[in-house]
Amino acid sequence: MSRATEIERLYDGHAQPLFAFLLNFTRDESDTRDLLQEIFVKLAREPGLLAGVRDERAFLIRLAHNAAVDLIRRRGTRDRTKENFAAEAISIFAPAGDPDENVFREEMAEALGELPEEQRAVVHLKLWEGLTFEQIAAALDIPPNTAASRYRYGIDKLCDRLRPLYEEMKKAE
Amino acid sequence: MMNDEMEQFERRLSRQPLRQVPAAWRAEILAVCRKSRVEGRAQEQFWPSTLVSRLSTILWPHPKAWAGLAAVWIFIFAVNFSIRDKTPVVAEKYSPPSPETVAELRQQQRMFAELIGPRDVRDADRSKSHVPQPRSECVEFLTA
Repeated sequence: MSRATEIERLYDGHAQPLFAFLLNFTRDESDTRDLLQEIFVKLAREPGLLAGVRDERAFLIRLAHNAAVDLIRRRGTRDRTKENFAAEAISIFAPAGDPDENVFREEMAEALGELPEEQRAVVHLKLWEGLTFEQIAAALDIPPNTAASRYRYGIDKLCDRLRPLYEEMKKAE
Repeated sequence: MMNDEMEQFERRLSRQPLRQVPAAWRAEILAVCRKSRVEGRAQEQFWPSTLVSRLSTILWPHPKAWAGLAAVWIFIFAVNFSIRDKTPVVAEKYSPPSPETVAELRQQQRMFAELIGPRDVRDADRSKSHVPQPRSECVEFLTA
Protein backbone atom coordinates (compact mmCIF):
# COMPACT_ATOMS: atom_id res chain seq x y z
CA MET A 1 0.00 0.00 0.00
CA SER A 2 1.38 3.43 -0.97
CA ARG A 3 1.96 6.05 1.68
CA ALA A 4 -0.84 8.25 0.31
CA THR A 5 -3.34 5.41 0.43
CA GLU A 6 -2.14 4.43 3.88
CA ILE A 7 -2.78 7.94 5.21
CA GLU A 8 -6.24 7.93 3.64
CA ARG A 9 -6.97 4.60 5.30
CA LEU A 10 -5.83 5.93 8.67
CA TYR A 11 -7.89 9.09 8.24
CA ASP A 12 -11.04 7.23 7.28
CA GLY A 13 -10.60 4.74 10.09
CA HIS A 14 -9.67 7.06 12.95
CA ALA A 15 -10.37 10.72 12.17
CA GLN A 16 -13.92 10.65 13.62
CA PRO A 17 -13.06 9.33 17.11
CA LEU A 18 -9.94 11.47 17.24
CA PHE A 19 -11.99 14.52 16.27
CA ALA A 20 -14.53 13.84 19.01
CA PHE A 21 -11.83 13.21 21.61
CA LEU A 22 -9.89 16.34 20.69
CA LEU A 23 -13.01 18.49 20.51
CA ASN A 24 -14.05 17.32 23.96
CA PHE A 25 -10.54 17.85 25.31
CA THR A 26 -9.76 21.26 23.79
CA ARG A 27 -13.33 22.60 23.56
CA ASP A 28 -12.25 24.52 20.49
CA GLU A 29 -12.99 23.60 16.89
CA SER A 30 -10.01 25.36 15.31
CA ASP A 31 -7.62 23.82 17.83
CA THR A 32 -9.16 20.45 17.10
CA ARG A 33 -8.57 20.91 13.40
CA ASP A 34 -4.96 21.98 13.95
CA LEU A 35 -4.27 19.02 16.21
CA LEU A 36 -5.95 16.55 13.88
CA GLN A 37 -3.86 17.88 11.02
CA GLU A 38 -0.71 17.75 13.15
CA ILE A 39 -1.32 14.08 13.91
CA PHE A 40 -1.89 13.06 10.30
CA VAL A 41 1.04 15.12 9.05
CA LYS A 42 3.21 13.36 11.60
CA LEU A 43 1.96 10.01 10.35
CA ALA A 44 2.61 11.03 6.74
CA ARG A 45 6.13 12.17 7.52
CA GLU A 46 7.04 9.23 9.71
CA PRO A 47 5.45 6.16 8.13
CA GLY A 48 7.36 3.89 10.52
CA LEU A 49 5.55 5.38 13.48
CA LEU A 50 2.86 2.71 13.42
CA ALA A 51 5.24 -0.16 12.72
CA GLY A 52 4.76 -2.85 15.34
CA VAL A 53 1.78 -1.09 16.92
CA ARG A 54 -0.91 -3.62 17.85
CA ASP A 55 -3.75 -1.22 18.63
CA GLU A 56 -3.73 1.66 16.16
CA ARG A 57 -6.66 3.43 17.81
CA ALA A 58 -5.08 3.44 21.26
CA PHE A 59 -1.79 4.63 19.79
CA LEU A 60 -3.48 7.47 17.89
CA ILE A 61 -5.48 8.51 20.93
CA ARG A 62 -2.24 8.68 22.84
CA LEU A 63 -0.73 10.85 20.10
CA ALA A 64 -3.81 13.06 20.15
CA HIS A 65 -3.78 13.38 23.94
CA ASN A 66 -0.08 14.28 24.00
CA ALA A 67 -0.56 16.83 21.23
CA ALA A 68 -3.52 18.41 23.05
CA VAL A 69 -1.66 18.55 26.37
CA ASP A 70 1.32 20.16 24.62
CA LEU A 71 -0.94 22.71 22.98
CA ILE A 72 -2.45 23.67 26.32
CA ARG A 73 1.00 23.91 27.92
CA ARG A 74 2.31 26.04 25.06
CA ARG A 75 -0.52 28.46 25.52
CA GLY A 76 -0.13 28.81 29.25
CA THR A 77 -2.65 30.45 31.48
CA ARG A 78 -3.33 33.47 29.25
CA ASP A 79 -5.37 31.52 26.75
CA ARG A 80 -6.97 29.27 29.33
CA THR A 81 -9.46 32.03 29.91
CA LYS A 82 -10.35 31.86 26.27
CA GLU A 83 -10.62 28.09 26.51
CA ASN A 84 -12.95 28.29 29.46
CA PHE A 85 -15.10 30.74 27.56
CA ALA A 86 -15.16 28.36 24.62
CA ALA A 87 -16.05 25.51 26.94
CA GLU A 88 -19.40 27.10 27.55
CA ALA A 89 -20.18 27.56 23.88
CA ILE A 90 -18.95 24.39 22.16
CA SER A 91 -21.01 21.25 21.90
CA ILE A 92 -19.46 17.91 21.16
CA PHE A 93 -22.83 16.28 20.49
CA ALA A 94 -24.80 16.06 17.28
CA PRO A 95 -27.96 18.19 17.40
CA ALA A 96 -31.09 16.20 18.27
CA GLY A 97 -34.52 16.44 16.68
CA ASP A 98 -36.30 16.28 20.03
CA PRO A 99 -36.08 19.62 21.91
CA ASP A 100 -35.87 17.95 25.34
CA GLU A 101 -33.07 15.71 24.15
CA ASN A 102 -31.36 18.74 22.69
CA VAL A 103 -31.52 20.54 26.03
CA PHE A 104 -30.08 17.48 27.74
CA ARG A 105 -27.20 17.34 25.25
CA GLU A 106 -26.45 21.01 25.67
CA GLU A 107 -26.46 20.64 29.45
CA MET A 108 -24.26 17.60 29.19
CA ALA A 109 -21.78 19.38 26.92
CA GLU A 110 -21.61 22.22 29.40
CA ALA A 111 -21.18 19.83 32.34
CA LEU A 112 -18.39 18.04 30.50
CA GLY A 113 -16.71 21.37 29.87
CA GLU A 114 -16.68 22.03 33.59
CA LEU A 115 -14.72 18.86 34.33
CA PRO A 116 -10.93 19.05 34.63
CA GLU A 117 -9.24 18.01 31.39
CA GLU A 118 -7.83 14.78 32.81
CA GLN A 119 -11.24 13.63 34.05
CA ARG A 120 -12.89 14.69 30.80
CA ALA A 121 -10.41 12.62 28.78
CA VAL A 122 -11.07 9.48 30.84
CA VAL A 123 -14.85 9.96 30.82
CA HIS A 124 -14.79 10.45 27.06
CA LEU A 125 -12.71 7.35 26.37
CA LYS A 126 -14.84 5.22 28.69
CA LEU A 127 -18.27 6.41 27.57
CA TRP A 128 -17.82 7.11 23.89
CA GLU A 129 -14.88 4.93 22.93
CA GLY A 130 -15.87 2.05 25.16
CA LEU A 131 -12.29 1.49 26.33
CA THR A 132 -11.46 -0.45 29.47
CA PHE A 133 -9.55 1.25 32.28
CA GLU A 134 -6.44 -0.69 31.25
CA GLN A 135 -6.75 0.60 27.68
CA ILE A 136 -7.41 4.14 28.91
CA ALA A 137 -4.42 3.89 31.22
CA ALA A 138 -2.21 2.78 28.34
CA ALA A 139 -3.52 5.52 26.05
CA LEU A 140 -3.11 8.32 28.58
CA ASP A 141 0.03 6.95 30.23
CA ILE A 142 -1.47 6.75 33.71
CA PRO A 143 -2.00 3.82 36.12
CA PRO A 144 -5.31 1.92 35.69
CA ASN A 145 -6.39 2.86 39.24
CA THR A 146 -5.91 6.53 38.42
CA ALA A 147 -8.00 6.08 35.28
CA ALA A 148 -10.75 4.43 37.32
CA SER A 149 -10.76 7.09 40.04
CA ARG A 150 -10.74 9.92 37.51
CA TYR A 151 -13.70 8.31 35.79
CA ARG A 152 -15.57 7.93 39.08
CA TYR A 153 -14.95 11.56 40.07
CA GLY A 154 -15.94 12.75 36.62
CA ILE A 155 -19.10 10.71 36.36
CA ASP A 156 -20.17 11.72 39.89
CA LYS A 157 -19.83 15.38 38.97
CA LEU A 158 -21.81 14.86 35.76
CA CYS A 159 -24.46 13.01 37.72
CA ASP A 160 -24.78 15.77 40.31
CA ARG A 161 -24.97 18.39 37.62
CA LEU A 162 -27.46 16.61 35.35
CA ARG A 163 -29.58 14.81 37.94
CA PRO A 164 -32.55 17.24 38.00
CA LEU A 165 -32.85 17.28 34.23
CA TYR A 166 -32.23 13.54 33.94
CA GLU A 167 -34.92 12.67 36.47
CA GLU A 168 -37.37 15.05 34.86
CA MET A 169 -36.77 13.38 31.50
CA LYS A 170 -37.15 9.92 33.05
CA LYS A 171 -40.53 10.91 34.52
CA ALA A 172 -41.66 12.22 31.14
CA GLU A 173 -40.73 8.90 29.51
CA MET B 1 -27.98 7.44 42.95
CA MET B 2 -28.01 3.65 43.34
CA ASN B 3 -25.70 1.49 41.26
CA ASP B 4 -28.44 0.47 38.81
CA GLU B 5 -29.51 4.04 38.34
CA MET B 6 -25.91 5.05 37.89
CA GLU B 7 -25.44 2.41 35.21
CA GLN B 8 -28.59 3.62 33.46
CA PHE B 9 -27.28 7.16 33.63
CA GLU B 10 -23.93 6.11 32.17
CA ARG B 11 -25.67 4.17 29.41
CA ARG B 12 -27.79 7.18 28.59
CA LEU B 13 -24.72 9.38 28.33
CA SER B 14 -22.87 6.90 26.15
CA ARG B 15 -25.83 6.71 23.76
CA GLN B 16 -25.60 10.41 22.94
CA PRO B 17 -24.27 10.72 19.38
CA LEU B 18 -21.13 12.80 18.96
CA ARG B 19 -20.62 15.46 16.33
CA GLN B 20 -19.23 14.30 13.01
CA VAL B 21 -15.87 15.49 11.77
CA PRO B 22 -16.53 18.15 9.10
CA ALA B 23 -16.36 16.51 5.67
CA ALA B 24 -14.32 19.34 4.16
CA TRP B 25 -11.46 18.66 6.56
CA ARG B 26 -10.60 15.36 4.90
CA ALA B 27 -9.47 16.86 1.60
CA GLU B 28 -7.71 19.75 3.34
CA ILE B 29 -5.80 17.62 5.83
CA LEU B 30 -4.84 14.97 3.29
CA ALA B 31 -3.57 17.72 0.94
CA VAL B 32 -1.37 19.09 3.75
CA CYS B 33 -0.14 15.55 4.41
CA ARG B 34 0.86 15.11 0.76
CA LYS B 35 2.65 18.46 0.74
CA SER B 36 4.48 17.77 3.97
CA ARG B 37 5.59 14.38 2.68
CA VAL B 38 7.23 16.03 -0.33
CA GLU B 39 8.88 18.62 1.93
CA GLY B 40 9.92 15.85 4.27
CA ARG B 41 11.74 14.04 1.50
CA ALA B 42 13.60 17.23 0.57
CA GLN B 43 14.56 17.79 4.18
CA GLU B 44 15.84 14.25 4.60
CA GLN B 45 18.49 15.06 2.03
CA PHE B 46 19.70 18.03 4.07
CA TRP B 47 20.80 16.56 7.40
CA PRO B 48 21.39 19.80 9.40
CA SER B 49 17.72 20.68 9.16
CA THR B 50 16.83 17.17 10.36
CA LEU B 51 19.21 17.63 13.28
CA VAL B 52 17.70 21.01 14.13
CA SER B 53 14.17 19.67 13.92
CA ARG B 54 15.05 16.71 16.16
CA LEU B 55 16.72 18.97 18.67
CA SER B 56 13.75 21.30 18.65
CA THR B 57 11.44 18.31 19.20
CA ILE B 58 13.45 17.41 22.28
CA LEU B 59 13.78 20.94 23.59
CA TRP B 60 10.51 22.62 22.85
CA PRO B 61 8.34 21.03 25.57
CA HIS B 62 10.34 22.87 28.25
CA PRO B 63 12.12 25.74 26.50
CA LYS B 64 12.51 27.81 29.67
CA ALA B 65 14.16 24.95 31.54
CA TRP B 66 16.62 24.34 28.71
CA ALA B 67 17.34 28.05 28.34
CA GLY B 68 17.96 28.24 32.10
CA LEU B 69 20.33 25.29 31.93
CA ALA B 70 22.19 26.89 29.03
CA ALA B 71 22.44 30.16 30.98
CA VAL B 72 23.88 28.31 33.99
CA TRP B 73 26.53 26.70 31.80
CA ILE B 74 27.42 30.02 30.21
CA PHE B 75 27.74 31.53 33.70
CA ILE B 76 29.98 28.65 34.85
CA PHE B 77 32.24 29.06 31.80
CA ALA B 78 32.39 32.83 32.29
CA VAL B 79 33.33 32.48 35.98
CA ASN B 80 35.87 29.78 35.18
CA PHE B 81 37.44 31.93 32.49
CA SER B 82 37.57 35.05 34.68
CA ILE B 83 39.22 33.36 37.70
CA ARG B 84 41.68 31.30 35.67
CA ASP B 85 45.35 31.53 36.89
CA LYS B 86 46.97 33.92 34.45
CA THR B 87 50.55 33.66 35.87
CA PRO B 88 52.81 31.66 33.57
CA VAL B 89 53.97 28.29 34.76
CA VAL B 90 57.16 28.49 36.88
CA ALA B 91 59.01 25.97 34.72
CA GLU B 92 58.42 28.13 31.71
CA LYS B 93 60.27 31.04 33.39
CA TYR B 94 63.59 29.30 33.71
CA SER B 95 65.78 28.53 30.79
CA PRO B 96 67.85 25.28 30.90
CA PRO B 97 71.21 25.63 32.80
CA SER B 98 74.26 26.54 30.76
CA PRO B 99 76.97 23.85 30.06
CA GLU B 100 79.41 25.75 32.35
CA THR B 101 77.01 25.50 35.26
CA VAL B 102 76.50 21.81 34.61
CA ALA B 103 80.28 21.19 34.53
CA GLU B 104 80.76 23.13 37.77
CA LEU B 105 78.02 21.17 39.50
CA ARG B 106 79.56 17.87 38.43
CA GLN B 107 82.96 18.98 39.78
CA GLN B 108 81.42 19.90 43.12
CA GLN B 109 79.69 16.52 43.25
CA ARG B 110 83.02 14.73 42.69
CA MET B 111 84.76 16.74 45.40
CA PHE B 112 82.00 15.98 47.82
CA ALA B 113 82.24 12.26 47.08
CA GLU B 114 86.04 12.35 47.71
CA LEU B 115 85.59 14.13 51.03
CA ILE B 116 83.02 11.64 52.27
CA GLY B 117 85.03 8.61 51.25
CA PRO B 118 83.73 5.06 50.55
CA ARG B 119 80.41 4.15 52.05
CA ASP B 120 81.06 1.23 54.42
CA VAL B 121 78.83 0.88 57.35
CA ARG B 122 80.37 -0.45 60.57
CA ASP B 123 78.64 -3.08 62.70
CA ALA B 124 78.39 -0.71 65.63
CA ASP B 125 76.54 1.84 63.54
CA ARG B 126 74.00 -0.65 62.35
CA SER B 127 70.69 -0.23 64.01
CA LYS B 128 69.63 -3.20 66.04
CA SER B 129 66.70 -5.02 64.68
CA HIS B 130 63.73 -4.92 66.94
CA VAL B 131 63.00 -8.22 68.65
CA PRO B 132 59.81 -8.36 70.62
CA GLN B 133 60.39 -9.04 74.30
CA PRO B 134 58.38 -11.72 76.02
CA ARG B 135 55.64 -10.54 78.32
CA SER B 136 55.84 -11.18 82.01
CA GLU B 137 53.35 -14.07 81.79
CA CYS B 138 55.34 -15.65 79.04
CA VAL B 139 58.54 -15.34 81.10
CA GLU B 140 56.84 -17.01 84.04
CA PHE B 141 55.59 -19.79 81.82
CA LEU B 142 59.06 -20.39 80.39
CA THR B 143 60.82 -20.37 83.79
CA ALA B 144 58.24 -22.61 85.45
